[in-house]
This record gives sequence, structure tokens and C-alpha cells, in this order.
Amino acid sequence: MTEIEVRDMKKDYVDEDVVTSALRGISFTIDRGDFVSIVGPSGSGKSTLVQILSFLDRPTGGSYRFFGKSIDDMNDRELAHVRNKEMGFVFQSFNLLSRLSVYENVEIPLLYAENVPAGDRKKLVEDAVRSVGLEEKLWSEAGRLSGGQKQRVAIARALVNKPNVIFADEPTGNLDSKSGAQIMGILDDLNKEGHTIILVTHETYTAEFASRIIRIKDGLIESDTPVETPRRSREDFFK
Amino acid sequence: MRVRDSFNSAVNSLRHGKTRSVLTMLGIVIGIASVIILMSIGQSAQDYILNQVQGVGSNLIFIIPGGTVNGRFQSPAAAQGIVVTSLVQNDVNALSREPSISDVVPLVTGQADAVYGDNDLTVTYQGTTANFFPVRNFTVANGYPFTAQDVAAYNHVAVIGSDLAKTLFGANIDPVGQNIRLKNIMFRVVGVLAPKGTGPGGVNQDDMVLVPITVAQSEMLGITYFNMIFVSANPAYRISFVKSRIESIMEQDHGITNPNKDDFTVETQQDILSLLGNITSVLTLFLAAIASISLVVGGIGIMNIMLVSVTERTREIGLRKAVGATDRDVLQQFLIEAILLTFLGGVIGIALGAVVVTMAWLVLSHVVAAGWTFAFPLSAVLIAVLVSTACGLAFGLYPARQAARKSPIEALRYE
Repeated sequence: MTEIEVRDMKKDYVDEDVVTSALRGISFTIDRGDFVSIVGPSGSGKSTLVQILSFLDRPTGGSYRFFGKSIDDMNDRELAHVRNKEMGFVFQSFNLLSRLSVYENVEIPLLYAENVPAGDRKKLVEDAVRSVGLEEKLWSEAGRLSGGQKQRVAIARALVNKPNVIFADEPTGNLDSKSGAQIMGILDDLNKEGHTIILVTHETYTAEFASRIIRIKDGLIESDTPVETPRRSREDFFK
Repeated sequence: MRVRDSFNSAVNSLRHGKTRSVLTMLGIVIGIASVIILMSIGQSAQDYILNQVQGVGSNLIFIIPGGTVNGRFQSPAAAQGIVVTSLVQNDVNALSREPSISDVVPLVTGQADAVYGDNDLTVTYQGTTANFFPVRNFTVANGYPFTAQDVAAYNHVAVIGSDLAKTLFGANIDPVGQNIRLKNIMFRVVGVLAPKGTGPGGVNQDDMVLVPITVAQSEMLGITYFNMIFVSANPAYRISFVKSRIESIMEQDHGITNPNKDDFTVETQQDILSLLGNITSVLTLFLAAIASISLVVGGIGIMNIMLVSVTERTREIGLRKAVGATDRDVLQQFLIEAILLTFLGGVIGIALGAVVVTMAWLVLSHVVAAGWTFAFPLSAVLIAVLVSTACGLAFGLYPARQAARKSPIEALRYE
């Protein structure tokens, strides 16, 4: 089932009459349950692409359909609703509220969710935290955790609303290789459970955890190739 | 986002920055406390002044020289330095014949040094008739009040206030029978008044000297008119009726056909109460208005800190928006934070105000003025809570809108 359908997508930034094209006509589709890496050098347009795919920004040309519905047909409130219900976010810098507990951080998306009774939140948060192996840290202050633990909390926060797609933007960028391997392992497990994973990275060996790699350069797709044998083990990560 | 969740988030944010929250609230705390304190003390002062006037006696009517302009009250002519000589003995005689009037007491007043031996004190003396004492509820604690015969015979006798007695004679000399000098005229003290406290207009009634009006007019002041006439209404008649009778008798006596040209003013206790009530209310409101300036300053302080908070929490705003918060959710959260800050500030300000008002009451009632009552008007509390919450809304709205308008991408990138 096609989850993401991009056709001739363009994105121009205008700053004092100077137009910069970050995306210059990109087309691809991503099916539900795919694990796709988007790679490219700095300034290639990969971050812009993911911002649009994750409804944080709108394209200036072309079309983008998410589960068949065009981004052009949705207002900002609807985009926020889709982000909350269908998407999870994992950032390179974790973006945790350091003074809040693990529980309170993971609960944040549920605060904005419709149709999640307050009584169900506790179980959803506990399940998400357990799935990343941090149940003993549930009430610890997020700011006091290690980098790897913080990223696991961020993954739990991304999972808690049971989204279809998880966007992971350089999730191992701030981690040592051991923690990085754990995070990639968790993302791989989530993919096996049916979540679509869209991974943005500039590291080739991290990208090869995916089953497909889209390479972006100068705002265009340079290549879109399947990974014959994805790295799916911790040992592979250290190679 | 539910309001309850916004409220919890706001409580969390404020709890995690306790010092900042307390310092931010300080402006509102001081502003609200000032408003409460000034309104409460103003109310107490109003009660105190009105009680003093009521203490004069509800059936008392005052006739003051000088008229009103187009029926509007203006300050008596004497208060403007104008000598009006319209109140004379004929008026007293005419009023005394009116059945709705029980007593008529003329009064003249002046200032002089009261001297006994080496002691002297500048006092207000009042020349009046013997019926002044029962009409004004003045009791003589030591000796006796001067009589109608003393007045008729121009006797040099005086009744003095209790404080003056202490000042001039000390504790060991009985003032009764002693001679004091007023304007170089010797008076024999025949009585000392029971302590009376401060009277209407803030006059210390325990410092005064009362002498026969005949002596005061002819020997001390050299006048034939009166400064005021007290009329005691017959209890069988309504005060308003007695007032209208006084006006028509006086107009007839003075040959006045147009009431707008009256050369006298008749004031009942109710008139004075309502006038004083209006004046003190305006003064209280004026003070509260001045105090409320500090509320505005406090509100601006909150806006300032909230703006800093919005900047500091840019990434948090970005994250919340990324995971599904709408502009309205963010606006709601920051607005609730501001309102919560000001509301808490208001509550603490009310408590602080209550403490200060209680302390002021203890000091004023025991040290400065007996009869000072405790007042803590609920209207002030209500106004304080409403104003502080409104401050939160007004001064929190701008920072909250700034937060709500942030683009999630820019906010997430913010360093």
C-alpha cells in the first residue's frame, strides 16, 4: 500500500529576492512498512525533503500525497493532527525537555492526541518506555540520562501514539557506536513490527540498515536503490 | 489539548523555575497588596470619620453662614476665608419659637493661647450657650458646666477639655477653681470635660475651651454674629421636615424670597455623612488608582519574563508543534502560565495585604485613634483577583502569541 507519493516536488526559499532551490523536482513513492534511508551531503536538500514529508513544511511545487491525501488539501490544523496521529519523530539532538521525567516526555504527543482518554495514557507511555528498555528510568529526569538513553526516550516518544511512519533525522549522530547500534536495532525492530521508517543520514554504513537508499544531491535524486543485504545486526554496525 | 493538560503543563513549567516564578510574581504581589492595603485603610478611615459624625447625634442640624450656588453644595464661606455675618441672635430667637425644634445653640469660635502660670497652649475656644452641653452630648467630668445665668451675666467662666487640663495644670492641681488667661482675659475654670476624642473635621475636642457666648462675642472677638448654629430637632418630627422649616424660618427672617439666594446653609447629619462618604470614597479610589500603577508595572514585568521564557523555550515549542500541537494549543499553554502567575501573585498579594491591614489596624486602634475599625472590603479582594487575572491575560497574550506563531522548523533549529 502506497503511503507516501511524491511527484516532481520542488521547494524554493526566497530571501530578499534571492531564490534558492532546495528541491528541484523529486519523485518517488514509499510503501507502508518500508525502511528507507535518505542520504546526501550537507546542503543536498535531504533535510528539506524530510521536513516536507513530515508535514513540518509545504512544497512550493509538485505534489505530495500521504495515504492518498494531498498536502495541499490540508490546513495547518489538519497537518498538526496528521503529525500527531500518523508520524513519530526522532531527532539527532533528542529534543527532550530535560527537566521533565521520562514519563512526562513520552506523554507529550498524547497531550495533543484526540480520542486518547486520559486514563489510557499511563499504559501507552509505560508500554512505549518498556519497548525501548527504559522502564526502570520511568521517573528519572530526562536531563540526567546518557545520550543513548535520551535517544531511546525520544524513540519511545515517537512510538507512543502508535504512528504509521517514524522519521529519524540523524538519530545516531550524537551517539557513540555502541549506543548507535542499539538505536538502529530498535528502529529495525520497529520496522519489523510494521512501522515505516524514514531515516535521514549522511553515514553510509547507518544508511545500509535500510532496505532502500535514496541519494539526494543538489536537490535532485541521484539514485534510488534497494539494499541487497541490509546490515541488520549489532556486529554489522561495528564493521 | 485539553485545558486541564495545559494547566498541568503550566504548573510544571512554573514549578521547574521556582525562583523565576516567585520573582516574576513579585510585581503583581506588591501591586495587589498595595491596592488591598489602601482600599482597606481607606474604608477604615471612612468608617472612622462617619462614626465621628454619627456620634454627634442624629437629630442635630447645622446652620452654616453663606449659601449654596444653584443648590449645589460648596465649601462654607468661612472655609474660603470669607466672613459671612448672616447668622444673628434674631435667627436664634425665631428658631426657638418653632415647635419642631427642641433646642437652638449658637456658636462662635476663635483661637487663642490658654495660659496658666508658665504653661500655655494654643487652643480653639468656643463661645456658646449653656444648652450646648446636652445638645452636643458633652459631659463635665469634674466641676459643672456654665449656666444660662453665667451666659446672661457675661461671667468669665470656662469649661476646658481633659487634655488641656493635663497640659496646663498637670496631675497634681485640680483645675476647677483655677484661673486661666485667654486673650489676656482671666477665666475661672468651672469644669473639665470628660475625654471626647477627635471630633468631626479632625478637631481634638479634648483641647478646647468653652466660654459663655456673650463674653466671646463682646470681649474676645468683637462681633455680633455667629459662626454656626446647632439645632436639635424635636424627635416627634422628621429631620427633613425640620430642615425645611428651618430654611423657611430663616428665609423669612432674612427677607429672602428666592431659595437660591439663601445666605445660610442647612446641613443635616445625613447630608454631611453623604458628603463625607463621597469625599472619602473618591479619595480611597484615588489611592487605589495610584496603587494600581504598580500593578501595571508588575504586569509588564510578567510580559517581559514571559517573552524571555518563550525565547528560551523555542526548541520546546518546536518539539510540541512537531508532535502535533496547534498554534492554539501553544497559545493556550503560555496564556495559562501567565494567568496562573498573576492569579497566584494576586492571592499572595491579598494575603500580604491582609497581614499589613491587620497590623495597621492593631497600631491605629491602640495607638493613634480609638474607634478605628478593621475593614477588609470583599470588593477589594474581588477587584484584586479580577485585575491580577486580567493582567495575566493582557500581558501574557503577546508572549503567548509570539510562541504560537513560531514555525516548528525554525524553532527546532534554534540554538
